[in-house]
Amino acid sequence: MSNVPFKNPGWAGNTGEFDLTENQIRGDDFVGERPAHGGHASGAGTMPYMLSEKQPDAPLFEGEYRERLDKVLSRYPTKQAALLPALGLAQEIRGHISPESMDEVAEALGLSPAYVRGVATFYTMYNKRPVGRHLIQVCTNISCNLAGADDVVDAFLKYTDTGLGETSEDGNFTVIEAECLAACGFPTCVQINSRYYENVTPTEVPKICEHLKGQGE
Amino acid sequence: MAEMVNLTIDGHEVAVPRGTTILEAAKTIGSEVPHYCYHPGMSSPAMCRLCLVEVEGAPKPMPGCVTTVMEGQVVNTQSEQALSNRRGVLEFYLVNHPLDCPICDMSGECNLQDYVHDEGREHGRGREPKRIFGRDDFGGDVLFYGDRCVMCTRCVRFMSEVEQDHRLTVVERGNRSVIDTFYDEGLDGTNWHGNIVDICPVGALVSKDFLHKARAWDLTHTPSVCTSCSQGCNIDLHTRDNLVQRIKPRENLDVNAWWICDHGRHNYEWMNRGDRLEAPVMRSDSGSQAMGWGDALRALLEKSDGGGSVKAVASAMSSNEDLGALKALVDAMGGGEILYRSARAEDEVPLRGFPLLARRKDLSANSTAADLIGANRVGADDGTGGLDEVSNHDGIVLVLNDDLADQKEDFGNNASLFVYLGTHDSPGAAKADLVLPVTSHAEGEGTFTNHERRVQRFAKALDAPGMARPAWLVLGALVAEKGEGPAPRSAADAFAAMSSSVAAFAGITWDDLGTRGAVLNESVSVTGD
Ligand code: SF4
Ligand code: SF4
Ligand code: FES
Repeated sequence: MSNVPFKNPGWAGNTGEFDLTENQIRGDDFVGERPAHGGHASGAGTMPYMLSEKQPDAPLFEGEYRERLDKVLSRYPTKQAALLPALGLAQEIRGHISPESMDEVAEALGLSPAYVRGVATFYTMYNKRPVGRHLIQVCTNISCNLAGADDVVDAFLKYTDTGLGETSEDGNFTVIEAECLAACGFPTCVQINSRYYENVTPTEVPKICEHLKGQGE
Repeated sequence: MAEMVNLTIDGHEVAVPRGTTILEAAKTIGSEVPHYCYHPGMSSPAMCRLCLVEVEGAPKPMPGCVTTVMEGQVVNTQSEQALSNRRGVLEFYLVNHPLDCPICDMSGECNLQDYVHDEGREHGRGREPKRIFGRDDFGGDVLFYGDRCVMCTRCVRFMSEVEQDHRLTVVERGNRSVIDTFYDEGLDGTNWHGNIVDICPVGALVSKDFLHKARAWDLTHTPSVCTSCSQGCNIDLHTRDNLVQRIKPRENLDVNAWWICDHGRHNYEWMNRGDRLEAPVMRSDSGSQAMGWGDALRALLEKSDGGGSVKAVASAMSSNEDLGALKALVDAMGGGEILYRSARAEDEVPLRGFPLLARRKDLSANSTAADLIGANRVGADDGTGGLDEVSNHDGIVLVLNDDLADQKEDFGNNASLFVYLGTHDSPGAAKADLVLPVTSHAEGEGTFTNHERRVQRFAKALDAPGMARPAWLVLGALVAEKGEGPAPRSAADAFAAMSSSVAAFAGITWDDLGTRGAVLNESVSVTGD
């Protein structure tokens, strides 16, 4: 069934356990689109989505994104409480959260910029620097580490010709280490954008990267 | 009266109001439970874990800073369990600490140093390299040494809860956590940030002004009152080598709690001024002549006889005792007008989280008492002008502690007798017949009356230069020579003399003042007698 040339591409269906393919269930865009207005208010503030095209200079909270922020705000008792989804929106639009973005979010929510910086830097899922089209997070915590996560990291860095946290020249990849991804049963676990790749070994790394290159362009 | 709860702490039975925390209850038996994050003026996040105490029957150690007392509770702050809790917690605090006490300004008054010396392990067991942050300039008067920080977040909470300008935050997480502002924003433009240096329990936040200036154990602390506005914040003057090295707040919940403003904190250099008047001097066309106090006062009395009406310039920076004695002398000389000048700021600078406290528009310590002795405020809001009539007065002119900085050399030219009592010379005193050296606020004892008519004592922190004497002593002696009562021999005497002659001060005694001050009877009108 699988058209993917490696064993565990992040979709159990590809192991042959199900008849449905990943494509049929959720498309094969590893990065994708979702409407800027965010749909229904209950879902408008969910996790930041990796858009295939980032717009680091786009205005935050204008037009449809303003509508979306208002929807998010309507779900919280105070503006301060909406800080996490508001930062999520900023990251969805611009791909990362720069000091300028923090300042704009602070302004929009009536918070101090220092407070927003504190929150934004606390959470590792907010990118404080620009990242490539595919953000590759390799778990190097205990279980994965015992299974050779360091070698997996090295393999990704070698393939992408980058250092940790840097973006490859073609803009496709940024590789970082992650703390426990809660997939200790399947080491080494690699989170790519919002999907898990489990039981990854260094030999599969080039195949995974080639596969990703064909995605979301 | 709140309901009382009885409990036992370290074998002592105590009764405290319901809702009191174990940490505060322990203070009532003189037992200080070690703590970092707790500060009585702010919320308690219970995050430093140093105040863990043993509560009998509780399944685990309880944080004393947030656990409120219960009837019949038995608390041990010194048991083996409590001590080993603290030993363990303290060991963690040293994992990344640079142990740079020898070059740290906090050394000698540091809660980490003290606690580890008292209860920590003899030797560290860490083998790993320490993480290093280095230091960061927070702007204003504050330097941050990240490696010394114990992450108690007192500074963050002061800025957000008390000053209510959320400039500080914890950036990052885990062992990368560090206190910072929004990138380069810094603390510039805030008015109370000096307090975060005071409440930082370790040497992570230090004052640039005080940086490497003196060691804590070399400083003498003298209780005093800030003179930089009419709020009258309670302070300690920290001195060494007869110089004020810094000002720290002194707790007084009725006035300033634990806080002072940055303006008042840094306004002390004038107390260290070197170019002082050191001996009584008689000036005449043939020159100046220094002399002893006896001769100077005798000359003054002689010349004042038949000298005409009196006009006096007082200072709103003078103590109650000085002002009272001046008033008594003017009266003994047949009465006359007393004027004073006082600078005013455009705006009040409130401390939002403690509404009793604001830096007041009135930038003088004692305008209230000047008003109460019947003096009239003249001049502009920058504290200048308004003295033309005195300048040309042809009777007796007395000037007390106003340095006449804006006046010309012909001030008092027409006076039959011009007496200048001050701390330093001034062009405006050029025509003075007698220049008498008096002590500054830091060099003597006395009281001020603040904006809400609270009378508060200050003590002597510095030795006076040369023959300088308190103005109340000089003026009081003259009053006595005029036959109006005994000469005061102490500030308390001078205060008693004032309270018997100025109606607003009636019924209040030196002993009433204590260390917290006492408010004058509200029913007496502000213009006094
Ligand atoms: S800088 Fe001082 S007050 Fe602020 S968190 Fe660190 S130790 Fe606490
Ligand atoms: S508020 Fe006024 S009295 Fe208090 S420290 Fe500031 S200047 Fe001094
Ligand atoms: S003082 Fe109680 S946990 Fe910090």
